[in-house]
Amino acid sequence: MTWVVWRQQRPVFITLVAGLVVSVAAVLLWRAATVADVQAGNLADCVLRGLDACRGKAADEFQDAWFDKLHIAQGTVLAAPAVIGVFVGAPLFAREFEQGTHTLAFTQSVSRTRWMVTKFLVAGLPALAVVLVYQLVVHSWLDVAGELGPLATGKFYFTTFESQGVSPIAYTLFAYTLGMVAGAVFKRTLVAMTLTLAVFIAARVLISGLRESMITPTRVVTDDLDGRTVLDGRPLVLESGYLDAAGAVVADPTPKMNCVGRGDAQGIVDWETCYRENGLAQRYSDVIPADQATALHLLEGAVFAGFAVLFVLGSVWAVRRQV
Amino acid sequence: MSQREHPPVLAESLGKKYSRGWALRDCSLEIPAGRIVALVGPNGAGKSTLMGMITGLLRPTTGRISVFGDVPSGRGMHRSVAFLTQAKPLYPQFTVTETLKYGRNSNPGWDQAYAEELVEKAQVPFAAKVGTLSGGQRTRVALALALGKRPRLLMLDEPLADLDPLARESVLRTLVEECRAQGITVLLSSHVLAELEDVCNHLVLLADHRLRLAGDVGALLRAQPEHRTLSQLALAHMRTEVAA
Repeated sequence: MTWVVWRQQRPVFITLVAGLVVSVAAVLLWRAATVADVQAGNLADCVLRGLDACRGKAADEFQDAWFDKLHIAQGTVLAAPAVIGVFVGAPLFAREFEQGTHTLAFTQSVSRTRWMVTKFLVAGLPALAVVLVYQLVVHSWLDVAGELGPLATGKFYFTTFESQGVSPIAYTLFAYTLGMVAGAVFKRTLVAMTLTLAVFIAARVLISGLRESMITPTRVVTDDLDGRTVLDGRPLVLESGYLDAAGAVVADPTPKMNCVGRGDAQGIVDWETCYRENGLAQRYSDVIPADQATALHLLEGAVFAGFAVLFVLGSVWAVRRQV
Repeated sequence: MSQREHPPVLAESLGKKYSRGWALRDCSLEIPAGRIVALVGPNGAGKSTLMGMITGLLRPTTGRISVFGDVPSGRGMHRSVAFLTQAKPLYPQFTVTETLKYGRNSNPGWDQAYAEELVEKAQVPFAAKVGTLSGGQRTRVALALALGKRPRLLMLDEPLADLDPLARESVLRTLVEECRAQGITVLLSSHVLAELEDVCNHLVLLADHRLRLAGDVGALLRAQPEHRTLSQLALAHMRTEVAA
């Protein structure tokens, strides 16, 4: 049975692998050029410590040359799951129904469930592997640029977050099973492809908006009222504001931030003293710390994987259903 | 052992209703083992619907059906049944060899030597892609796939419809020879009554979504001596239906 599905999926698989080989070759070439630029500009230190640590022409030139390219590379990792869903998942069953070959499959001795499971695995596993390899290769390029590239915006910036960790695989699983169930239910390849793309984009936008609320934020409190202190490891800041002397959140701090006429002889305002006198005692930030990024990846991944399980069950139902 | 007691097909007041109306209703029949059954009736009489319910592709709306004692379901077809539809779906990108390998992979009782022999007899090249074959060659490959399964019930829905007269003759001859030699029960639907004349010894006639006539051809002809042949008998019954 594995051979049968393998034989059917061969053209899809060859296309996927060819696409992967070309993309990986391109990324590796650019990566080599990036490595050369880091060495030529003597930027090894900046790559580790960021642009602030090394003002200089070489660092700016490096960013001009590579920053956008690296960002686009992250974007392609975000797009990969949709490609798998639309071109591997959606036609998986829809094409059989469209060509009428499902009657052939359904009238062999092999049970429909086994036929389905084999198709699901034999078509799906190589697709997942392709996405994983591509993700890792792109990431090895981003690491070369380090703090001079998109990684400088922190682990939670959406292109970085969504192209890292288990996220691409979870999205791919979601898109692939979504395409599969759409094809099994609607039995038309084009309908299934369109629906997969639309629902995938909608679900990604929706869930990426909700994922911040999946982890209880940590409150970081500081006496530095100016808010100039940089938080460790660039966490995801959900909310920030002021606390009064009792430690309660000040609902509307704007009137208390009025320091007009408080300047000294030179007109320089001592903001901190002014704020403190107005009753703003401390500054707080509700954050998701950088070391919880993995947990957030897993939580969001679990939501997508949960949907994927539902889609698989839906496909089983649709394929086993007698009309 | 218990399967031996069960007839290939047993239907009790079987009915199927689509959203557009009844396709078949109140059909009770038994197809005995070892017969070559002609399933005839005008277009839309319910022939394909009946076959669909025997394979498990369609679910009956009313009544019951059993195939060798088992109720056909959406899990998979009975392993003793082979089915060849009108469209003869095969994977067009597979070669003939690969199509037979498909049969071997999908059926535990597969007889590779026999399937190859059938393809050889039909002089279909093994290396050719199925999509490039002529209608007659495709039918022969589909037939090899169906028979290679070593079924005890073979169902063919209009198997000859898109073939030229020569191909029809040779496909039908192969079919009958193989099935007689192996005692396979055959359920064959066709519009061309004359073709079924010398081939079938059992008749199932559907008209207007109902079963009109079923039984041994010889016995039916003896009971209605005004009809001398199977086609006359079938045609007369279909005519009365249309007139009514």
